[in-house]
Amino acid sequence: MAKIVAEHLKYKYPLSEKLALYDISFTIEPGEFIGIIGENNAGKSTLCQAMVGIVPNFYKGAYGGKVLIGDMEIAKSNISDICKKVGIVFQNPFNQVTGCKLTVYEEVAFGLENMGLPRSEMIDRIDYSLKLLDIYKYKDRNPFDLSGGQMQRMAIASIIAMRPEVIILDEPTSQLDPQGSEEVFRAVQNLSREGITIIMVEHKMEKIAEYSDRVMLLHEGKLIAFETPEKIFSRDDLDCYGVTAPAYTRICKSLGIKNKKTGFYPVTLEETKSLIGFSEKERCPYDQN
Amino acid sequence: MTRIEVQEMHFSYTEQEPILKGINITLDERSTAIIGQNGAGKTTFVKLLKGLLRPMQGKILFDGKDIACMTVAQIAKHIGLVFQNPNDQIFKNNILDEVMFGPINIGMDEQEAKRHSQNALAMVGLSDCEDKNPYDMGLSERKLIAIASVLAMDTDVVIFDEPTIAQDYRGIEKIKKIIRTLKAEGKMVLTITHDMDFVADCFERTIVFAKGKILLDGQTDKVFSKKEELSQAYLEPPHVTQLCNSLGYDKVFLRVEDFVSYVKSKGIENK
Amino acid sequence: MIHKLDPNSKIIYIFVANIAPALIGARMATASFILISIVILTIGKVLHKTAPMLEFSGLILLTVAIIQGIFHQGNTTVAFALGSVVFYKEGLMFALGIALNVINILMSFSILVLTTKPSDMVETFVHMGLSPRLGYVMSSVFQIIPQMTKTMATITDAQRSRGMETEGKLKTRIKAFFPLISPVVMNSLISTKERAIALEVRGFGSKQKKTFLNDLQKTRYDDIFRFVLILILILSIFWRVLIWLK
Repeated sequence: MAKIVAEHLKYKYPLSEKLALYDISFTIEPGEFIGIIGENNAGKSTLCQAMVGIVPNFYKGAYGGKVLIGDMEIAKSNISDICKKVGIVFQNPFNQVTGCKLTVYEEVAFGLENMGLPRSEMIDRIDYSLKLLDIYKYKDRNPFDLSGGQMQRMAIASIIAMRPEVIILDEPTSQLDPQGSEEVFRAVQNLSREGITIIMVEHKMEKIAEYSDRVMLLHEGKLIAFETPEKIFSRDDLDCYGVTAPAYTRICKSLGIKNKKTGFYPVTLEETKSLIGFSEKERCPYDQN
Repeated sequence: MTRIEVQEMHFSYTEQEPILKGINITLDERSTAIIGQNGAGKTTFVKLLKGLLRPMQGKILFDGKDIACMTVAQIAKHIGLVFQNPNDQIFKNNILDEVMFGPINIGMDEQEAKRHSQNALAMVGLSDCEDKNPYDMGLSERKLIAIASVLAMDTDVVIFDEPTIAQDYRGIEKIKKIIRTLKAEGKMVLTITHDMDFVADCFERTIVFAKGKILLDGQTDKVFSKKEELSQAYLEPPHVTQLCNSLGYDKVFLRVEDFVSYVKSKGIENK
Repeated sequence: MIHKLDPNSKIIYIFVANIAPALIGARMATASFILISIVILTIGKVLHKTAPMLEFSGLILLTVAIIQGIFHQGNTTVAFALGSVVFYKEGLMFALGIALNVINILMSFSILVLTTKPSDMVETFVHMGLSPRLGYVMSSVFQIIPQMTKTMATITDAQRSRGMETEGKLKTRIKAFFPLISPVVMNSLISTKERAIALEVRGFGSKQKKTFLNDLQKTRYDDIFRFVLILILILSIFWRVLIWLK
């Protein structure tokens, strides 16, 4: 399994005067779940695209530093080779449907046909990924007849079938309804359990806090911090970067409840529940009766 | 005060598949959120209010007048609707012209239209960009342009369809401020949304649509205390409410501040 | 049964149905192939779908017949007269020849087009060496156009919501053109860019030789069908050679 390493990555889109990414360096270990947060135009999507080679290979523009996936250097490789190692899923499920296939099953095959896989292997992989994403029952439907959540899971299945070591999700649920979002988040958790490295951009901070091993905070193209969710969301300066902590963390900040073991504020429902429940019992021991 | 009464309204695109099955509701000055899964009939409902679709049965009364006798263009003077995707409406090369399109269509003169448009742009925080091309702006700014282009029409009713999609924290705060301002100006505000924390923060009344019917309707905190009905509509309450539920509180809070002051007051009492 | 034939067999049919009569050089041969096509289309239960196309081309062929019947260069034998307009036999026979050939081409292509899924057809072309990019464009058109129609409806709603009139006098309609068409163009530019990237990250630009999920399976019927076709072709070449030798 491959490590992802960025070294002094800089990038400027053509026709733009400002750097979209400014001197970014980090290392992501195999199997990690990484959340990326930051306000709009902070460079989140650009960074994602730099890890699959869309930046700079598709957009061109000025590029400096490097990104390595294992021993493959992104800027020097073709997207068609990179995509065997790193897959990416975008916001809009609709615009990811190829439009040239009549069934979900064939749609998932698209990438595999391009890879030149033998037919029997294709079938194995398609079956596996449709089942993993829980959409096997829709395999004979027209891709455009699926709901948003189902379509997005099909997009993920299409990437998973290509067996990448890393999968990047750029706001995968922002255009879905609550049920569709939940379906996608559940699917992403499943992938994480399979040991795939996951990098997810998301505005729903509660979800970032719940799933991420570490969180990248980006602002104006710079990497401000890359830490555990507890440490990131316990910062006092989140407002300056246009992000907010999960509701649970905000409550605990106001109440001054920290997790004594870590020294940070809690970030998930479970953690908050145990801490608030505990301090309440301490404060009013008879309340229980 | 503006009132919209919907009586026994039915709608379907095809005979086999009814979309709305007998909607009865009165909308008033309270800011109102409409929630529910995709396909529950929310967008169809607001399109009917706008006259873009016409009911199969039943009627819609706007201030007592049946909108069946009004054209879409006439309704547009009273009810504004901001569509989900700003790219579905933007066609001018500069932002001010784009925003002035609606006001001029509904019969304002050039000067009045300009005044209203500039006010609307100030409200969404885009006053400095009047002369820019909308397509030089990001999607979140284009959404604000679309909002301004409806606000400039100065309608009594403003409806938003998913205003928080593609917005970050600051963008959502901005939209909350716009909604509060509209409310203070005495306008009726309706919003379709999937963002429950946004509903909790901003709306007095919440209507839950499920399978073409109104499942719940009432004061927002009352609606979010109905755990069973919500899960029936596959909806999760706001995060603060989820915390209340898992702590076993009988009282339901919607906002961080309310929860905090409750816990603090309890702590003080017990000291 | 016809639907299950390999598209390649149908392509061979188009080839033979048009080459063989030319080799034999008799109108009867062309007519026979038209008859065979009709039989095949009937078995495939799609004969009625050729009607609109035949009506359209029939109209054109009728014009050809009238013009040739009156004005053809070798016209000598009078066939009949309508009032003062005289129709000649040579011209009418010439027009008949053209008509038979056109109908034969249309019918033989109809078998391929009407009994094959568009995606299979494109895939066959790609197999035969058509560029996958061009193949993509051809097959995506079938799906993307209905989607564009939907976008167009939303845009109309959005602009009507801003008080724009779309119906009524011609002037109103002309005024409505720009606010309707430019969002369509912008929208499709945006979605095309996004879709292009989505295809790219699924290896569309790969130099690897493509493989196919759908095995285009040749059946026993394909073999029989092809054997008969080749036999006809050989016989007609034989016929041609015989005529030369005479």
